[in-house]
Amino acid sequence: MNAIEFKNVSRRFEDFYANRNLSFEVKAGTIHGLVGENGAGKSTAMKALFGIHPPTEGEILIRGKTSSIKSPIHAMRLGIGMVHQHFMLASSETVLDNIILGHEPRRGLIFLDRKKALKSLQEIVSSYGLSFHKWEFPIAKLSVGEQQRVEILKLLYQKSEVLILDEPTAVLTPQEVRELFQNLKRLKEEGKTILLISHKLKEVLEFTDSVTVMRRGEGVGTVKTKEATEDLLARMMVGREVSFTYQGERKMIAHPEHLKPLVRVERLTIESQTEPLRDVSFELKPGEIVGIAGVQGNGQTELLKYLSHPDRFPKASGEYMIRGKHMQMAGPLELRRQKVGLIPEDRLEEGLLLRQDMRENFLLGQHHDPRYSEYGMLKRSRVTAELESKISEYDIRPTNPSALLGKMSGGNQQKLVIARALDPSPEILWVAHPTRGVDVGAIEKIHEALVRERNLGRAILLFSSELDELIDLSDRILVFFGGSIKAEFQRRDFDPWKIGKVMGGGSA
Amino acid sequence: MKLASLSFLKSCVGAAVGLMLGLLLCKYAGESPLKVLRVLYESSFGSGYDFGMTLFYTAPFILTGLSVAIPFRAGLFNIGAEGQLTMGALGVAAASALMPNLGPSLFAISFACLAAFVCGGVWGLIPGILKAKRGSHEVITTILLNFIAAGVSAYFILYVLKDPASSQAETAEVASPYWLKPYAIFNGAPMGDLFWVLIVLTLLFSVFLSLSRWGYELKSTGENERAAETYGISKSRAWMSSMFVAGGVAGLVGVVEVLGNSHRLKMGFSADYGFVGIAVALVARGNIVGLIPSALMFGILQKGSGSLDLETDKVTRDLSYIIQGLIILGVASEGIWDYLKLLRRKPRV
Repeated sequence: MNAIEFKNVSRRFEDFYANRNLSFEVKAGTIHGLVGENGAGKSTAMKALFGIHPPTEGEILIRGKTSSIKSPIHAMRLGIGMVHQHFMLASSETVLDNIILGHEPRRGLIFLDRKKALKSLQEIVSSYGLSFHKWEFPIAKLSVGEQQRVEILKLLYQKSEVLILDEPTAVLTPQEVRELFQNLKRLKEEGKTILLISHKLKEVLEFTDSVTVMRRGEGVGTVKTKEATEDLLARMMVGREVSFTYQGERKMIAHPEHLKPLVRVERLTIESQTEPLRDVSFELKPGEIVGIAGVQGNGQTELLKYLSHPDRFPKASGEYMIRGKHMQMAGPLELRRQKVGLIPEDRLEEGLLLRQDMRENFLLGQHHDPRYSEYGMLKRSRVTAELESKISEYDIRPTNPSALLGKMSGGNQQKLVIARALDPSPEILWVAHPTRGVDVGAIEKIHEALVRERNLGRAILLFSSELDELIDLSDRILVFFGGSIKAEFQRRDFDPWKIGKVMGGGSA
Repeated sequence: MKLASLSFLKSCVGAAVGLMLGLLLCKYAGESPLKVLRVLYESSFGSGYDFGMTLFYTAPFILTGLSVAIPFRAGLFNIGAEGQLTMGALGVAAASALMPNLGPSLFAISFACLAAFVCGGVWGLIPGILKAKRGSHEVITTILLNFIAAGVSAYFILYVLKDPASSQAETAEVASPYWLKPYAIFNGAPMGDLFWVLIVLTLLFSVFLSLSRWGYELKSTGENERAAETYGISKSRAWMSSMFVAGGVAGLVGVVEVLGNSHRLKMGFSADYGFVGIAVALVARGNIVGLIPSALMFGILQKGSGSLDLETDKVTRDLSYIIQGLIILGVASEGIWDYLKLLRRKPRV
């Protein structure tokens, strides 16, 4: 029987179709993957199913019955539950309270019956063969993987039959990923249907029963996972051949051991409630990409913030030197004068002015550059001329310099951020999540640009949550856990399992 | 540029719809809308004197409109133009009282302008500093400072600068070098060169904002403070500097009033110029050049309000305020445009 069936579902936002004539079916008791590039319409399709954005045309059948799902509450009543990419948990409340929120068992009219809730939860856990016991812990004390388990338990508690998981592995270590999928398999054996949104083809191939591929809002096709290969899925996603690992030339820089480091960080310690740094030391030499690996929240974000804006951390202790010069009191403009380029962690929040055009955005951070301003006045025509050459160099679309950033795709936005960081070509680059939310075609271009800069002798520090990306591009990888560097791997020893183990707190 | 003109067009349509609604209202009240329009027109453009008075009412609105529009670039909502102009006017009165015999007129007037700008500017800088250093919300602090300004100004008018010969709450007359000379063509209306200086400065300022680093820093801060900070733009500096300039510009209203009109500082002289300035900036959608026509429109309604009392039977000056309100509503109903767009596109499946 089909648990879910999409029949010619379209979702239109004004004149833009986020989904168009999407049809696929999901058999009950299977794990079904939904893959596609960013912006292919996967999330929109799931939001249609979960009642957040009901379809404008077509229909969705639940267990064979046409159901026009009007709201998430309606969807939950039909037995559909969703784990969002960003968890929807109250971080100061206990696990138990988070799970029962909205479906509280009561004693009399007003009193919460926590005991009853706990009992039924323990039954659920044991009947599915899961293990969990931290019911009284506040969410904030849980690891990301545990929080995800709470989200899934919540769905089970609500008696959901269909579980939608939106990019569930984005924040997990390889070990946690394995555990997650073991649990999902058990749920499948108990008859649950699981819809998995992902852009990681390896996972999808390993753990699903069937896969629907989406491109530009439309379904390209549904295949049995047994019959699919990575190449096949990728071709369906992109519509052409793609290479997964960077194939280009890696020029070896002669004797990097003898080169003087451009950047030296020594015993950097920052006290912080959320993400402290303890005793972090490393060097960065010309012509190398050093990858920073770690599960989100283990100090990488804080390190990047410090490196790009040290004057905001008056209480930081330790040394931060560029070419032997102390940088502890420097701000972003001083770092720019030291030829440091920045690709920030979150381009929408920290990198772009979305309601402004490309010219204004290209100028950001460069507004003190003597090429672009003089005596406090901007040289607008110079900015536009330089921008136009970058647009063609980086193949940014649309090509019109007065295009608004908010209307551009993630990949093109990111290309502009990178073009800006590489103008003029810096000697040092802080690069964070350069391909997050970027389509496969643009990923290749961005990786090429980074390796090109490396081959030109730039020192690059690469922060990424995609271990594959770090392994592809880095010369060395430093693994962060609990605010300090736990291990360093050389390129010849890269092994995702070993790195993953350290990311999860184990030893190398 | 295309975007700016589109938004200007939207404002015009919104204002027109508001005006139409207001006129429909007079029809309902039993007064001919055409007559109301004629009264408004004649009252503001009927004679040289009337036109001069209209421009005279327009000037403070341009200034207070600027004082709202400038911090708005940096993401701040300045409700404090009223207090800032009160302090600016006090500055003018104090400056002229301190140095009554200050050389030639040009010199004296420049000195008064400087005093107005600095006094208003400091009054604007206070909420700017509070916002930058303490995170206090500027809407709250500027409103509170309006009350404090009213109190401070009352104290100085009643106890320090009071005209002993007058029974009113007003200061002594300022010395004659400080007086702005009205044009003869305006037949005695208190309207002089300073108005044209103001228009030219406003246009220049608009160019300056779009071409200067300072303007860019304000805009980036208003658009996305975190991105601005990440790339080395200090939001504190943007907030403090924009509030100082805003307060200073509002303070210049004091020059128009004290030196151009009554030649003395009267308690409560402002006809809510500071608050109308919010509406002026709203109608102009923060566009600096757009402030001029927007302020002129409010000037016309202000000037015409008195004539509505005298020359119509069924409506009073309140109608003018109702029309002002409807125009603001018409312009502010931004969502309507998106709704219309949606309607237009629906049939095409």
